[in-house]
Amino acid sequence: MKNKGMQISAFRLGAIAVMAIGLASASLTSVSADSTPTFGTKCTTEGASTGTSTNSLICQKGDSGALKWARVRISSNRQTPVPALHANAGTIEFHHWRAEDKAVFADIISKFEAANPGTHIVQVIESSNDYTNLAFSQIKGNPKSAIFVTSRGGQFTQFYNGGLLRDLSNERFVKSNVISSALTPGTVDGKVYGVPYQSLFNDPIYNADMFAKNGWSVPKNWTSLLAFCKTVKAAGIIPFAWPAATRGNAGQIMNSFLMNSAPDLATLTSRIAAIDTGKADLTQPWFVDIATKYQQMNAAGCFPSNVTGYNDTVAPADFASGKAAIYPTGTFGMSTVTNLNPAMKGKMKIMSLITVDTKPLYEGITNNTFILHVNAKSSSRDQNIARAFLSFLTTADIAQQYAVGTSQHVSIVNVDYSANIDLLNTSDIMGKKLLLAPRFLFNNVTTVRNPLEDALIAIGGGADITKTLTDTSKTIKQGLGA
Amino acid sequence: MALPAVAIYSFLYLYPAISNLLYSTQRWDGVTKAQFVGLHNFKYLATSDDLFHKIVANNFRFSFVVVILQTLFSLMFAIFLLKNTKANIFLRTLFFFPTILSSVSVGLIWTFLYNPNFGFINASLKAIGLHKLALNWLSDGRYSLYSIAIAQIWFHTGQMIVIYLAGLQQIPAELYEAADVDGATRWQQFRNITWPMALPTTAVVVAYTTIQTFRAFDLVYAMTQGGPMNSSDLIVTSIYNMAFGAYKFGYASAESVVLVVVVLVITWIQRRTLRVDYGSK
Repeated sequence: MKNKGMQISAFRLGAIAVMAIGLASASLTSVSADSTPTFGTKCTTEGASTGTSTNSLICQKGDSGALKWARVRISSNRQTPVPALHANAGTIEFHHWRAEDKAVFADIISKFEAANPGTHIVQVIESSNDYTNLAFSQIKGNPKSAIFVTSRGGQFTQFYNGGLLRDLSNERFVKSNVISSALTPGTVDGKVYGVPYQSLFNDPIYNADMFAKNGWSVPKNWTSLLAFCKTVKAAGIIPFAWPAATRGNAGQIMNSFLMNSAPDLATLTSRIAAIDTGKADLTQPWFVDIATKYQQMNAAGCFPSNVTGYNDTVAPADFASGKAAIYPTGTFGMSTVTNLNPAMKGKMKIMSLITVDTKPLYEGITNNTFILHVNAKSSSRDQNIARAFLSFLTTADIAQQYAVGTSQHVSIVNVDYSANIDLLNTSDIMGKKLLLAPRFLFNNVTTVRNPLEDALIAIGGGADITKTLTDTSKTIKQGLGA
Repeated sequence: MALPAVAIYSFLYLYPAISNLLYSTQRWDGVTKAQFVGLHNFKYLATSDDLFHKIVANNFRFSFVVVILQTLFSLMFAIFLLKNTKANIFLRTLFFFPTILSSVSVGLIWTFLYNPNFGFINASLKAIGLHKLALNWLSDGRYSLYSIAIAQIWFHTGQMIVIYLAGLQQIPAELYEAADVDGATRWQQFRNITWPMALPTTAVVVAYTTIQTFRAFDLVYAMTQGGPMNSSDLIVTSIYNMAFGAYKFGYASAESVVLVVVVLVITWIQRRTLRVDYGSK
């Protein structure tokens, strides 16, 4: 019986896959890497007038030159989305580190509680650092934490190894409501253990208004990037507001440096794995090449003065106030910028940070800020509440509320971003060839990734490449051997 | 009668301490089954972990600077504020004020003060023409540790002033009156009366400050997280990172055993050096 069930599942999966491929290649207008989308109020008006309400849209000039809405190509399985599950009465805890999402989640929770009388969800929020370090032991010892988040990579693996992640593979809301390609970070051996909820793009945000006024164009390759830095610096503007003093966000540009550093993804993955396990050190030519580029950016004036003391409080403030042209973190930084200066709304766009002069393998980075999980160690009643809440979060209206409220894209189908001009203006990145942030392929965050990123930050600040990489390699190997 | 106290002490102190000793002989990631490795963790710490050696050296430098300056400042301020005048009582409150702040707040305040681009310290230095002294306080490995040490001194000096005031107020006023009659100068009074009489208090302050500096974590974590390039990492931040960052609980336990031994040895040396004999009093 079991085998038969598996055969049926395999058949259904195969049928879904065929449908998905067919639908993904349907004749809808889609955004390609070479297209030049046009954004702004005109587009919003035109889009609104079509009454289109479907998957993520961007505005694009068609063959006739007219603006029209185009569906961003996302590999959804295109099943009809399903409604949220019903929850039984009870109270559970929702553990996460997104303090900035607290209000939006609170509103969503109140809607969920209204739809499910007798159900209560309590948000337990910690700082991201504390969450990274302490969440596993806290959640492991607290079965009431029935729904929680993990970060992709090391933390997800830790929770998976600890047996805390419920298998969600057979949940209809997972199959039908979540963009299938976005499920990868929450999947192990074909089984889905979590829903990567927030889709973000760890690519530099630039002040499109400033670019237009100064006649600057977005650099398309490494040489033009260095030239761009010199031009912008000469104009008295900080080219890249790189927050080197805040490791977490300083490390975002490393994704872009990594994405085109190898001939293919397999090579990149194996190179990172070799460093992560201590089999290779940082003095390999390919990594020295990356470090050299950090140094070149520093020499070209791309970074502000005293860059190693330039933190993530100053960087968005400089960008928001027009002192900097580019804020090289990601789409998640846009809400900070508009909070600092509401006039920046609608003026930001996203760019590819291309660090080669040849044809790039990838044009951008994507990632999931967090993956939502149901605690496998919670009681079945509490797991049911958690499942129902998770299904609620994957409905289009709620996901749209979350997306608009937090200024972040989501990995849920049928979400319309037109209510948030900044999300809309950066949606074109979805049409480019993107790589899942390789920075998070390092599983040993404390012993490998942190010192590695510190080394690149130091080199970006002017430190000697050979000495820094040699010393850091030694530290990494000794740390791994401890 | 002593049984409840012994039980509480055993549960809250002995059990964790013995558990820690046990963990230090294991390789354990907090998830999978612990593996007994004998003294391997200690051997690796002693012979192969250059980063830990650097961190221990950092901690000694940090401790040296803080113990000397904090003791000096607290003794100096306590002497100035000894008399119970209204102004002195106000100033004592003022100096004690940082102690009641949370360490994270203190860390944030000093992070802003040290900011190389808009911080008060660099802005002041630039305003008076000392551009060369406007440094990258927390982001340059040469200065980060000492910058945190200054914040630590600011944070805790008020506490030590209180201890010194209590000690200095125990010195009989007659001794100073007799010294005045004999024509002793202020310096002679300090050297021959205040300093010897305040020695037991100094021993307490020095021991307390030493332990405080070897337990330091909060300010480092709030200000630099041990960076850049581990230049401001201290033993406790290393233990924390090893345990809750790298999930090497056994190794972190071994580090904490080393920490206890280091603090015990230093405190013993300090007591010998200051020749404090509480038993004869």
